[in-house]
Amino acid sequence: MRIPILKLGNYLLISIQMELDDKTAIQFQEDLLQRIHETGATGVVVDLTSVDIIDSFIAKVLGEVVSMSDLMGAKVVLTGIQPAVAITLIDLGIHLQNVQTALDLEQGLMKLHQELGE
Amino acid sequence: MEPHSFIGIKKEWDIVGARQLGREIARKLGFGTVDQARIATAISEIARNIYLYAEDGKVTFETIEGMNHKGLRIIASDNGPGIDNISQVMEDGYTTSGGLGAGLPGVKRLMDEFDIQSEVGKGTIVTAVKWLR
Amino acid sequence: MDENLKQIALDNRESIVETWKNEVEKLKSQNYTSTISDELFESTNREFANVIFESINDGGSTKSVELFSEKIINLGWPLSYITDGLQVFRRATIDVILGTTKKVDTDSLSLILTSVDQWVEPIIRQLVNEYSGSWENIVSLQRVALQELSAPLIPVVEGITVMPLIGTIDTERAKLIMENLLDGVIRHNSEVVLIDITGVPVVDTMVAHHIIQAAEAVRLVGAICILSGIRPEIAQTIVNLGIDLEKFPTKNTLEKGFTSALEMTNRKLTDLDTKQHFDIEQLIKSIKGV
Repeated sequence: MRIPILKLGNYLLISIQMELDDKTAIQFQEDLLQRIHETGATGVVVDLTSVDIIDSFIAKVLGEVVSMSDLMGAKVVLTGIQPAVAITLIDLGIHLQNVQTALDLEQGLMKLHQELGE
Repeated sequence: MEPHSFIGIKKEWDIVGARQLGREIARKLGFGTVDQARIATAISEIARNIYLYAEDGKVTFETIEGMNHKGLRIIASDNGPGIDNISQVMEDGYTTSGGLGAGLPGVKRLMDEFDIQSEVGKGTIVTAVKWLR
Repeated sequence: MDENLKQIALDNRESIVETWKNEVEKLKSQNYTSTISDELFESTNREFANVIFESINDGGSTKSVELFSEKIINLGWPLSYITDGLQVFRRATIDVILGTTKKVDTDSLSLILTSVDQWVEPIIRQLVNEYSGSWENIVSLQRVALQELSAPLIPVVEGITVMPLIGTIDTERAKLIMENLLDGVIRHNSEVVLIDITGVPVVDTMVAHHIIQAAEAVRLVGAICILSGIRPEIAQTIVNLGIDLEKFPTKNTLEKGFTSALEMTNRKLTDLDTKQHFDIEQLIKSIKGV
């Protein structure tokens, strides 16, 4: 299974609509980096509104995606993390310190816009 | 629900199956969305440990009755290599798999009760309980 | 239940009640019921005696016991009035029955004791149950009331929400605060949430830990958390305990917190123009119709 990655100007949009298993998550990491390389995108919004579980493995993959994209010159914003998911992440001791967040897709795009000054 | 349900962990996809079943059982027991997420995440962590280190094992679900409240007990058991130094795996940040090292200590924080027993060469049993608030 | 003994007890009702009343009167002077008027105490005792005998007569009738306990609970009389009263009744009944029995051997004595126990026990059990039921009810109602007070979330202006915390924070309440906070952020679409701890008496490492966790979770869902209401003694404990609150903004008053929340959402408070030009002479003129 693959997660679709949409291009919008200089940004890439991803809305994760399925239960993430380990393979899908790693596939997503590869696909996204490839797309950043192809498109030269400067910003990425990953919307997690429909994700109802993030365990330590998925959190690790997401954190890595953010750092890797950053290395390639693309800022990543995670949006729509559900309260229950945020609470379990905190319980797990995962704070995603280097990750930018926003309430929803719209605010995520606005955040990118402000930060990148485009 | 059957008082005892279990799911075998052999393939990677079984991790997803286990946490979906666990969430469903938690929901039927009356846990709120946050506790459902806590339970599902805890199952995901212990099921992944089975998959990564033991290759074959199972996760069992039991509803339990306490003094005034109900709860859900999750038992993850395997016949894998066992854990040599339990206090080490319970430390935050300790990892052999290159993960975040949040797995088992995280499960302890997600659940209300937690116990781990392991014998090198025999296997590991992780028991965790969440009480209905 | 031994019918013979029951008959003896019923036949000697008068003398049992008399002995019982005297004993209960003695109890009254010693303790709890001393503030109750003699009249009310009399009539309640009479009713209590009737209830006991009715229960014995009907072989453990529960209806009248229930009504009686309800009344006592509503009057706010202590449970010890009932338990002491029944103890006294047990002794009085045994005395009277022993007095009417000609020969007493160990067998009949044990029969008497067992029978009297069988009369009294169900009444005690039911009354105690009624009492604890009413207590549990009160406790659970108060629990709900406390939960309602626990973590209120107030949307102030678009994008800014305030959670004023009052009272002690324990682990249970901290969880509730975190859940309410995050749900509220989503529901009100808040960019900034203010947690005001003016009303929290003690901030120790545990409380600070919970607040930091809540703030971290708020960041994960995509909003910013400001901590306001930091009094001098709280600032002192936070630093002395080595708690790191660097990761999110803190302000000493809710007002300042709100101002910086406005800044974060690109807004500020200004006075309306009309207010500046307003002048008392104009007001007087307009009243006079000049």
